[in-house]
Amino acid sequence: MAVHGDFSESDVRRAAFTGKSLRKTYVTGETEVHALRGVDLEINAGEILVLLGPSGSGKSTLLNIIGGLDRPTSGELWYDGKELTALDEADLTRFRRANIGFIFQFYNLIPSLTAEENVRLVTDISDRPMNPAEALELVGLQDRRHHFPAQLSGGEQQRVAVARAIAKRPGVLLCDEPTGALDSTTGVRVLETLANANRELGTTLILITHNAGIAAMADRVFNFLDGQIASIEVNQNRVAASEMTW
Amino acid sequence: MRSLDIKLMRDLWRMRGQALAIGLVIGAAMATFVMAMGVHHSLTQTRDAYYDRYRYADIFVNMTRAPRSVVERIAAIGGVARAEGRIEQFATLELPGRISPIRAKINSIGDGGASSLNRLVLIRGRGPDIQAAGEVVIDKAFADANSLTVGDRIGAIIYGSRSNLEVVGIGLAPDYIWSIAPGELVPDASRYGIFWMGEKALEAASNRTGAINALSLTLEHGASEAEVIRSVDAVVGQFGGTGAVGREDHLSNAFLTSELDQLEAMTRVIPPIFLLVSTFLVYVVLGRTIRTEREEIGLMKAFGYTNWAVGWHYLKFAFAIALIGIVMGSLAGWWMGRSMTGQYAEYYRFPFLIFQISPAVFAGGSLLSLASAGIGALGGVRSAVRLTPATAMSPPPPPVYHAGLVERLGDRAGLTAVGNMIVRHIARWPGRSAITSSGVAMSLGLLFAVIQFIDGSRAMLDNYFFRAQRQDISVTFIEPRNEKVLYDLAALPGVIRVEPARAVAVRMRHGAVAERVAIEAANNDDLLTARVDSDGFEVDLPAAGLMLSRPLAAKLRVSAGDNVEVELLGGRQTQTVMTVASIIDELIGTRAYAQESALSRLTRDGAPVGSANLLIDPLQRDEIITRLGEMPIVLGLTERDAAMELFEQIIEENIMSMMGFYIAFASAIAVGVVYNSARILFSERAHELATLRVLGYQRREVAIVLLGELALLVAIAVPLGCIAGYWLAQLMISMFSSDLFRLPFAPDRSSYGFAILVILAAAAATAMIVARRVTRLDMVRVLKARD
Ligand SMILES: Nc1ncnc2c1ncn2[C@@H]1O[C@H](COP(=O)(O)OP(=O)(O)OP(=O)(O)O)[C@@H](O)[C@H]1O
Ligand SMILES: [Mg+2]
Repeated sequence: MAVHGDFSESDVRRAAFTGKSLRKTYVTGETEVHALRGVDLEINAGEILVLLGPSGSGKSTLLNIIGGLDRPTSGELWYDGKELTALDEADLTRFRRANIGFIFQFYNLIPSLTAEENVRLVTDISDRPMNPAEALELVGLQDRRHHFPAQLSGGEQQRVAVARAIAKRPGVLLCDEPTGALDSTTGVRVLETLANANRELGTTLILITHNAGIAAMADRVFNFLDGQIASIEVNQNRVAASEMTW
Repeated sequence: MRSLDIKLMRDLWRMRGQALAIGLVIGAAMATFVMAMGVHHSLTQTRDAYYDRYRYADIFVNMTRAPRSVVERIAAIGGVARAEGRIEQFATLELPGRISPIRAKINSIGDGGASSLNRLVLIRGRGPDIQAAGEVVIDKAFADANSLTVGDRIGAIIYGSRSNLEVVGIGLAPDYIWSIAPGELVPDASRYGIFWMGEKALEAASNRTGAINALSLTLEHGASEAEVIRSVDAVVGQFGGTGAVGREDHLSNAFLTSELDQLEAMTRVIPPIFLLVSTFLVYVVLGRTIRTEREEIGLMKAFGYTNWAVGWHYLKFAFAIALIGIVMGSLAGWWMGRSMTGQYAEYYRFPFLIFQISPAVFAGGSLLSLASAGIGALGGVRSAVRLTPATAMSPPPPPVYHAGLVERLGDRAGLTAVGNMIVRHIARWPGRSAITSSGVAMSLGLLFAVIQFIDGSRAMLDNYFFRAQRQDISVTFIEPRNEKVLYDLAALPGVIRVEPARAVAVRMRHGAVAERVAIEAANNDDLLTARVDSDGFEVDLPAAGLMLSRPLAAKLRVSAGDNVEVELLGGRQTQTVMTVASIIDELIGTRAYAQESALSRLTRDGAPVGSANLLIDPLQRDEIITRLGEMPIVLGLTERDAAMELFEQIIEENIMSMMGFYIAFASAIAVGVVYNSARILFSERAHELATLRVLGYQRREVAIVLLGELALLVAIAVPLGCIAGYWLAQLMISMFSSDLFRLPFAPDRSSYGFAILVILAAAAATAMIVARRVTRLDMVRVLKARD
């Protein structure tokens, strides 16, 4: 199933994020680590963006800054006309609550809550969330809603994490190596779900991966090197997640 | 071994907050132990040295009047080492500007204040001249309370005639370490003094030339006190002896002893509570540490450390924590003991103070502290010893949550996801949750048990002053009178009602036990006094026979229906057998009652009137007091309201001054328990809390996960604590009761409230400190690590 047709109006899409000379420097004792060395970027609303690059090149650092988990040492970051870098902690949390869904390599589910309750954790505090059961249905886990994380496989847990991330209908989904701990079949299922959310909810999808194959599903790919975006590829022939293998 | 010790130091430093919090609880145990034992030991030492150096007598007896030669007869009794007689004469004093009478008990003494027994300690000035009529030494407490000093003059009425006394010295004596005016309930140094006057001078002033009315003696080593008392009574009976008593029943010493017993009771109640809590805390904290250090334990063992070395390592961790408590507690206990011994020395009258806490007390306290920490460590140490390297190196199984009862209940109750997180975590760790709740409950119970003593004292006061004693004034006579005196009093303008208070001194015997006691004669239709039991109910006197207070019955080993031999003391030594008709639970004293008619068989001619109770017109109070004060037969006046006020004041000073300590100590438990629970909770849940932050929960919403669980556990602790407090209070009341008084259990509801508030405040403040860590939670770092 080709999805690139959906993207025909890409030129007129608004920018979701705009970043200007974003820097992040970690100082530990005598040594300084420059995780980001002045990154300028523009991320379009509704696009699928893949961040590729060697280990330590700054991908996670950027993703965390975009998601409001971390702050740049200097530079500006704008989202939908608001300057995120000027927000205080509470407003940044509010921004995260309203707009961002996160998915990590390790699923970060709450072990004491069932699948459905893990999703409810988010719907409890969202404005116009999905029904938790509905979100679980989207990831194909409606039968497992009363199971605790310990009773689910890794892939199932990650799909619960995806359900949790999309349940609030976020504007942006941020995924840091979401398939890193999964085998290829399971990984594809997770990616399909993410692509669906992108297609059906118009969610901007930003995805870090070490797997160049996954870049095939992206609209654009940022290649990171040493704290900078070394190159940007625009993918003219987006491939459906279900057709990918690695 | 060296590197393990370095690990120990690092662990202690890393967990310094938790170690300190447990140390605080152990420290509180140690401090109370050292303080109470130290004060007990110091006061006992001081008392014994004082008694020894100043020749406190072993046996005391009072008589109506005896020739001085009786002393030689007494000294000749087998087992008596030395005997001495003296005159004890009450006097009314006139101090400028004081309406209510001030009384003194004047004791005769040899030339210059010399005596062979109950020696006078001169603090200032000199002893009185044996002949000089006006020279007196006055006791220090009275001097201080009335700002009197050497050279001052005091007007006095002695034996009906007015004289002018000159203070030549200020002193103390071992037989008056504690004193109280006859007929009074509360000691009041400003209104009752102990004086010493030259023997010849007092003989003349009291019309007792060549006579005495009091006698004391010391025993030879190994002599039987009971036998000597019997012989003494046989000798002094004809002189109106009122029954000899040993030290145990001598007022000053009896009171001091009951106070010392209470101190000792304190060491048996309070430190064990703290130690129990600290055992629990060590158990929980070490257990958690060992669970998180599984891999390290596996490594150590893989490298060849023996089970013993690993176990010993963790045991040392517990001991190190105990050591923190021991050091803090020893210092605090020493300091508190010092200041408390000082307070006691002020209240009681000691010429010197031996403050000394024996090393054995510190050693004993330390041993107990180490043992309680060690016991707490055993569980954890055992699991560390049992761990094989192979199982240790594999990660611990994740906590498993099932859809159990709690889960379904949570769903039923419509809890939010966060609510479910809280409830399920508690259910997942029931043992630890129980320890948190019961620890907080114990702190609450302890605080309550201490506070209710104030309520108990107030209730006792209310019971005694409002229900049992309804007169405005009671008048004590210099010598027992006949009924005529009642008419004289009734004739005073403004006196509405007069009732006699009659008492006869007797010795009661049942089997081998004998007790000296005054039987109070009364009538059931008396309006001004009543017999009120500890529940506040009036109890009627039996138509025939005796009513004994419970402690007296216990001493005599009698119950209702038994017969006791009653021997009249003083004057005629009539003997008769009386039936114990009933037993009353009273709050104050060991007492015996009978209807007047029931006593007549014993006394033949109605009971003597020793004092009278008056109901007066309050408008004429000053006039009445002045008139009474001028009556030569009146020894003293007690105004009910003034006595009550004084009692209130004593309660306030004594208990309130300690309140700060108790609040601090009880809070220490709450702080120790809550801090450790919160820290463990936080470290266990850091990952989940960070996840919530990532999901868009604000800091304070995340803090609720932490605080909510603590709040729930503390909320469970509140009713538990009230129950614990209820039992603990009963226990402490029974341990603190003495012959002199028993406090009722009559807590004010506000005492529960106050204790709850203090503990909640301590718990909340502690939880907040830990909750602040939520603010500093580094989401990114936590999420990098796999749970
Ligand atoms: N808290 C920190 N303190 C110091 N240095 C840090 C910290 N976090 C990240 N860094 C450094 O910043 C650089 C970028 O890290 P980042 O996690 O963004 O890399 P990455 O591209 O996501 O790598 P990977 O693919 O391995 O996840 C690295 O050199 C890393 O060591
Ligand atoms: Mg990364």
